[in-house]
Amino acid sequence: MKVDVTFDSAAFSLDAVKTACYKFLDRFTPDIELCEGKIICHLSIDDKFSEAAVNANVDDLKKEVLDQDLRLKLKAETEPIRNLILAHAFSKTGLIADE
Amino acid sequence: MSDFRQIEFYKPNSHKYQLLPFRFTKLDDQSYVVTNLAGEFVVLPKELIPRLINHNLSDDNSFYVELRARHFLVDQSTAIARDLLAIKLRSRYDRLADFTSLHMFVVTLRCEHSCHYCQVSRKSADKLQFDMSLADADAALGLALRSPSPAIKIEFQGGEPLLNFGLIQHIVREAKRHGAGKRLAFVIATNLALVDREMLAFCYEHDINISTSLDGPRDLHNANRPRPGNDSYEKTIAGIRMAREFLGKDKVSALMTTTEASLDRIKDIVDEYVSQDFAVIFLRPLSPHGFAIKTKAYMRYNTDRWLDFYREGLEYIIALNKQGIALTEFYASTILAKMFTSRDPGFVDLMSPSGIGIAAVIYNYDGYVYASDESRMMAEVGDQHFQLGHVRHNSYGDIFLSPKLIEPLEDSFAYSNPMCHDCAFEPYCGADPVFHWALYKDHVGRKPESEFCRRNMAIFRHLITLMESDPFVRRLFLKWANKC
Amino acid sequence: MLKLSGRIDPIRQREDARTALLTITTDPSLPVGIRDRFALLTDQPRDVTGYGAQLVSNSLEPIESPLPDATIYQLPNHFNYLKSGDIVYIDASRQFLNTLFRKGSHHNSILLTEQCNSYCLMCSQPPKKIDDSYLLRRALELIKLIPKDAQRLGFTGGEPTLYGDSLIELIKQTKLQLPCTSVDLLSNGRRFKDKEFARRFGAIKHPDCTIAVPVYSDDPVRHDYVVQALGAFDETIQGILNLKRFGQKVEIRIVLHRQTIDRLVQTCEFICRNLLFVDHVALMGLEITGFTRANLDLLWIDPYDYKDTLSEAVHILTSYGLNTSVYNHQLCVVNRDVEGSCCKSISDWKNEYLESCASCTRKCECGGFFSSSKLYKHSSHITPFV
Repeated sequence: MKVDVTFDSAAFSLDAVKTACYKFLDRFTPDIELCEGKIICHLSIDDKFSEAAVNANVDDLKKEVLDQDLRLKLKAETEPIRNLILAHAFSKTGLIADE
Repeated sequence: MSDFRQIEFYKPNSHKYQLLPFRFTKLDDQSYVVTNLAGEFVVLPKELIPRLINHNLSDDNSFYVELRARHFLVDQSTAIARDLLAIKLRSRYDRLADFTSLHMFVVTLRCEHSCHYCQVSRKSADKLQFDMSLADADAALGLALRSPSPAIKIEFQGGEPLLNFGLIQHIVREAKRHGAGKRLAFVIATNLALVDREMLAFCYEHDINISTSLDGPRDLHNANRPRPGNDSYEKTIAGIRMAREFLGKDKVSALMTTTEASLDRIKDIVDEYVSQDFAVIFLRPLSPHGFAIKTKAYMRYNTDRWLDFYREGLEYIIALNKQGIALTEFYASTILAKMFTSRDPGFVDLMSPSGIGIAAVIYNYDGYVYASDESRMMAEVGDQHFQLGHVRHNSYGDIFLSPKLIEPLEDSFAYSNPMCHDCAFEPYCGADPVFHWALYKDHVGRKPESEFCRRNMAIFRHLITLMESDPFVRRLFLKWANKC
Repeated sequence: MLKLSGRIDPIRQREDARTALLTITTDPSLPVGIRDRFALLTDQPRDVTGYGAQLVSNSLEPIESPLPDATIYQLPNHFNYLKSGDIVYIDASRQFLNTLFRKGSHHNSILLTEQCNSYCLMCSQPPKKIDDSYLLRRALELIKLIPKDAQRLGFTGGEPTLYGDSLIELIKQTKLQLPCTSVDLLSNGRRFKDKEFARRFGAIKHPDCTIAVPVYSDDPVRHDYVVQALGAFDETIQGILNLKRFGQKVEIRIVLHRQTIDRLVQTCEFICRNLLFVDHVALMGLEITGFTRANLDLLWIDPYDYKDTLSEAVHILTSYGLNTSVYNHQLCVVNRDVEGSCCKSISDWKNEYLESCASCTRKCECGGFFSSSKLYKHSSHITPFV
């Protein structure tokens, strides 16, 4: 069966959608399309899944997209402090070249 | 006297204040917990949060004075907050650069017990191929001493490490010989069933501590920990007595493991620790790894049931303290240290960046190096995700700069994760990529669904609520905070 | 209470009568070459020459004649405590004597100035805007006379750091002259906000010098109010941080009264979170002298009424491992859990007990009262232990 899940590209990054879809490759095959400010995931799902199971997976996908979107954003935003602290952790090991 | 000015003269002229970095999370229906950059907390009535943030909190409000003194806001009257916050923050991260201080050596996988929850595959006594070789031990020791940490703790694990006592002796002697100015501490994690006077004499001579397992009263302990003769409890108690005779009470500690059977017996377990005269009890959750999953032990209980167990245990321990019995709960004291001091207690599971590799590392019996004890247990059931290298085939740089270490460290960095990023409790919590990988096949997991998150947030809220409602508990917890 | 200064009657003054620091001696046959550094304590004028002065202790006996050719003063009775080894300052023109050092005392303290840049509500040494730098010069001379085995020496004011580098020179000289003597310097710490000044002070590397700095509240407004100086809190904290950066020992003092007791617990928490590296914390009872008497209605609270707050404060400090002392409190007004931190802190010359203390079984352990507290105001809950 085919199900469409749509994400507003103003709200969610394409990278996040792709990363999220990747996690579900064992459950469906995604076909991602950008159309008029929308990211549409055309999902091909094996007929053996019940409607309830399909809905659960779609809900899970939506949660995953939100999760990945926030992760990407935060990862970029907090990169300087994260690098600073990790560098501090390794600072006396002799494994990091002085800059 | 006219020479003296009223206090109003010293208040700031303007009602404007600047916010310093802080986070806020709900405590209960009436209040929020706010934490500053240094991890200090204040409990605020929830109505004050929007007022604080919108710069509508009046300096007459007693909370205003509190928030200014605790470095949540600054106004005209003071500018020293930034310097003090910087010092406190630096203190919190001080130990990080010391790098790996806990080095675990799995000297053998052999064990005569068959504990249900054992995270390590059982091997019978005559399979000598499950002992760590001399060459691997020497190579591992070399790696351990390479750590920049001024203090190294070497922990002997197994299986049952006493089954390879000769190797323990070798490692201790070699460590002291090559220790190169480091402070060395040693501990053997043993069931004590096989301990004898010669071993204890050696421990006394070299200042080695003992950490043993005591799951509770005899029936519970023996049910959890079968061995031939079904006398694990008797052996353990006898072992504790003998060890204390040789080493003193302070050098012998005990850990418990929580199982399905433990959940209804918390008072009995605490009573057992009191009868056996222990000063510390660690109410641990059951780890979701390795053997436990195989036997579905983990499936048999969930976080809520364990939290009930923990809360009831803590209540009983507090009641005992009110009677003058000085028993400390270890997990609470670790968290309280993070709440009340700038000292890092170095507890691997409650660190961000995670303590895997950079605080603790484990050298397995076969020479392979793992980022944590839990992750070598995962390897025993087939998942080598956190295997960093081999003591003889890889260099220090190979191992500690391995992507298998760096990636989970980076990915799980709590401040970079959704929900953790804004959580007021993040300074008290930790990144546990191994836990999340075992359960969710992801270094981070989705925090709203994470049992690690749920468990810890419940405990943080519980500890704070207890302190807010009972001054005795606040006093007691302050003592616990300074114990580690 | 001992009077440490007072008029002395000149029985006879030679022309060369000196204004000088003199060490008390009872020995009339000291080597001639050193006699001028000493004041001979005697019950009758002695026919010996060369002493800086002779001090005749007051007795019922009339002074014998003829008088020897020496500078001789009559000591009023209140100076009867003077002993061999004590050091006095005799002002020949004003006929005045100051006792500056007492050999048998654990509480010798040298006043360096009465000037101050704060104006504390409870100041026991109210500031005077006069040039009293002679006190510093005198101190430099005094330390050369103090015996090398003196255990402790205090420097107080006013605010000694107003002397700047001259103070640093004094402490350095103290280190050189008295290398085995522990030094306590009382200061509001504000001058040390200047990092370079703190560095120069730390560079003295005195083996055992502690700077005692008052912090009256974690609330900057409250602290500034108590010391009556805007911005004092920030300066003091910055001063403490700088001193510790340069390896200097620091003690924090909190005087307990109505303006500081409300936030005492929070202030101790503040010290434990922000200043855990200090070497000692002293919680001090109020001395009813100086400005305290003028501001008594603002300041007075019966220590018995705050004993639970004091217990909590001490508990917090000791939980964090800070060395903690409670000064100037009587044992009957504190809870048992605080007794371990109490000490006999009041300088011996102003230390007294009440009449009702005579029957107290713990009097010898108790620090007693300030003479001024006995005179003017003390707790209404003083009860002897039985």
